[in-house]
Amino acid sequence: MRLYSSDYRIQTYKKGLENLVVNDTRIGFIDGINSKLLYRGYPLEDLADNLTFEDVAWLILHGELPTPSQSLEWANELQEWRHPPQEAYDVLNYIPANAHPLAQYRTMITIAACHIPEAERHDLEAQWRRPGRILSWSACLAAAAIRHLHGEKPLLPRDDLGYAANFLWQALGREASPEEVKAFDVSLIVQAEHGLHAAAFAALIVISTGADLGSAVLAGMGALSGIRHGGANQTAYEDLVGLASVEQARAWVEKKLAGKYRFPGYGHRVYKCPDPRVSVLEPYAKAMLEKCGMQERWEIYATVRQEVEARLGAKGLYANVDSITGLVYAPIGLPVAAFPIPFCLAIETGWMAHCLEYLPRGAMIEPGAIYVTEE
Amino acid sequence: MNAYRTLSSNFAWAVDRLDWPVTSEVGSGLSGVIATATRVSWLDPSSGTLEYRGVPIERLAGMHPFEEIAHLLITGRQAKDDRSAYELFLNQLRSSRKLPEDVISLVRSLDPGTHPTRILRTGVSALGCHEMTKEDELSGERHWRELRIIAQVAALVAQIARHRAGLSVMDFRPENDLAFELLRAIQDREPDPKDVYALDLLWTLFADHGLDAPTFTSMVVASTLADPYYNVVAGLSALQGHKLGGAGENVLKQILALASPEDARLWVASTIANGGKIAGFGHRLYRMPDPRVVFLRKEVAVQARRKGVAELFDIARAVEDEALRHLAPRGVHVNINFYAALLFHLLGADGPLLPCLYMVGRMAGLMARVREALENPRLYRPLDRYVGNPERRFDGEGAK
Repeated sequence: MRLYSSDYRIQTYKKGLENLVVNDTRIGFIDGINSKLLYRGYPLEDLADNLTFEDVAWLILHGELPTPSQSLEWANELQEWRHPPQEAYDVLNYIPANAHPLAQYRTMITIAACHIPEAERHDLEAQWRRPGRILSWSACLAAAAIRHLHGEKPLLPRDDLGYAANFLWQALGREASPEEVKAFDVSLIVQAEHGLHAAAFAALIVISTGADLGSAVLAGMGALSGIRHGGANQTAYEDLVGLASVEQARAWVEKKLAGKYRFPGYGHRVYKCPDPRVSVLEPYAKAMLEKCGMQERWEIYATVRQEVEARLGAKGLYANVDSITGLVYAPIGLPVAAFPIPFCLAIETGWMAHCLEYLPRGAMIEPGAIYVTEE
Repeated sequence: MNAYRTLSSNFAWAVDRLDWPVTSEVGSGLSGVIATATRVSWLDPSSGTLEYRGVPIERLAGMHPFEEIAHLLITGRQAKDDRSAYELFLNQLRSSRKLPEDVISLVRSLDPGTHPTRILRTGVSALGCHEMTKEDELSGERHWRELRIIAQVAALVAQIARHRAGLSVMDFRPENDLAFELLRAIQDREPDPKDVYALDLLWTLFADHGLDAPTFTSMVVASTLADPYYNVVAGLSALQGHKLGGAGENVLKQILALASPEDARLWVASTIANGGKIAGFGHRLYRMPDPRVVFLRKEVAVQARRKGVAELFDIARAVEDEALRHLAPRGVHVNINFYAALLFHLLGADGPLLPCLYMVGRMAGLMARVREALENPRLYRPLDRYVGNPERRFDGEGAK
């Protein structure tokens, strides 16, 4: 792998480092013109329908699908790490209950980071021992943070359940149905890797300083918490909730279009075509909504999408993954304020893969700032 | 087209105006890349120029108190030019130092041996929970908070230092400057004004230095309009990296183990001959002496004499002389960490606390740059280039 091949030496890029190629990757390929997303060469739809999130995470991290014995070992490793330090739970007693759930969650993670094994080791071997713990701890703590929203105590994990099912159990306090588990699992799979978006880039900067993998993930979470980024599935869903009927949705879109509204969940820096993650998730969302008598919301979503894309599609603006994930999470019963959390759990896989890929020869990332003298 | 030969030594890192897109050289670790236009400071490593808001560092070093430097970096105005605005700024800083009791208890509930950068990150995160409720919308348009965070980070560092040292909780006195209060926390007595001067000097020199990793991480996170506490938590996560946070500690480990200047010379020569590293030398950007070092070297000399350990300065000088004899021809010079670590040590700080202490100063530049990034925010989203497997299919049975 060549991180800085000769043809990178001179580049043209825009504000926000748009179009700047930071390095070569073997992890994911985003084709923003032909609506394609590959993880390690496999198209998203092949993986989503046929695999668990755990196996896809393995693929993203290691480059190949796990063998049956690797798959089992990995599942066991993830399961063993389902007991974050008690101190991380206890911190909820030190912070106000009306704080933003993401801020509470962040604080739990920072406390857990004070209790990680071999904290001051930063060699590659130690870094590679971290992804399993990070994935499981962050899911358990997220579930506790979600329960805390309603003043409920954390639940113990269930060893008979996989990653998605156990998360839903610990978050909701009930065993989710197989359909719910599959839909949720697919939502994790389609959001597990997405190139050097702002959060992955933030993680890469942090790992390049020699920090531990968990610190890099924490920086990624910070970027994801921004409304420009990971918070969009929450606002996109809230927009839909405000609409009572298809007619109202149509009129609303019309009005918002005239006001040059930035529809949350629409448009993407990389995709100038339909987002492939949306088409994979849509059938699952539709089935979930129908099953719990929320067909109307599906119709409203479909109308908004159709109307917005009819008008803005020509400009390359299509529904992105944030427009649809809420329609999986709401019928499952996750609170709206917690919608950004599953995205975070999924995509930290991709961040970790990028960090581990960068580490062997990674120089500290330190670009320049140019001083502008003109008044 | 705006093309910049940014890696070559004759580029001054300053232009009349910047029009995107730009074309530049791109080196390892994105050196040479222009990540932003700025008015905060001018850093030109090829000439050794460092200016905060147009004022050369030579004129700022020794300015007192540090709050004036923070004001200059953040607002772009010198305190003497706008006294009343500065008074407001100062009041905001001072009124923000009182931490919620729960946050102090949380800090104190952690093992005092935990690395201070991890405790600081936790404290800032918890503070964010106290400062902002879920009704606050998640957007970065709340400038007044930036000043609070600078003061709060300083207050947290003070409490962490005391927790580490087994000292009781300290209440900040609103009438005193930050440096005075921080030293009072560390030294557990009324600090000498000469020590206060030294800490102000350190913070001034550390206050801004281009897009170091914590600052750039905070800017990237801010560009998503994350809450301001998250910007800082992310920045502190970068500080935590051993390449940054460990630098000062490594200097102390090496220098404090040396018994005399002769011992120092021998150790340096043999370390370099054996391919070892002398901590506190070399900088990614500078191929000439870092302009900030001269102030610190002088201050270490003064403070070492004052504190009756003049020998420590002689040892440091001997290390520098001997190391430069070998390294200067290769363009490697002493960096800011070398004398800064010794000065922090002379003020009573222990090694692991150093990154937190320098971060108090750096918060001024970090916040100034976050504020600048939020003026006209553009999400940071670069690309990577896929060189992996060509498309392959999977049907649930096995790879095809």
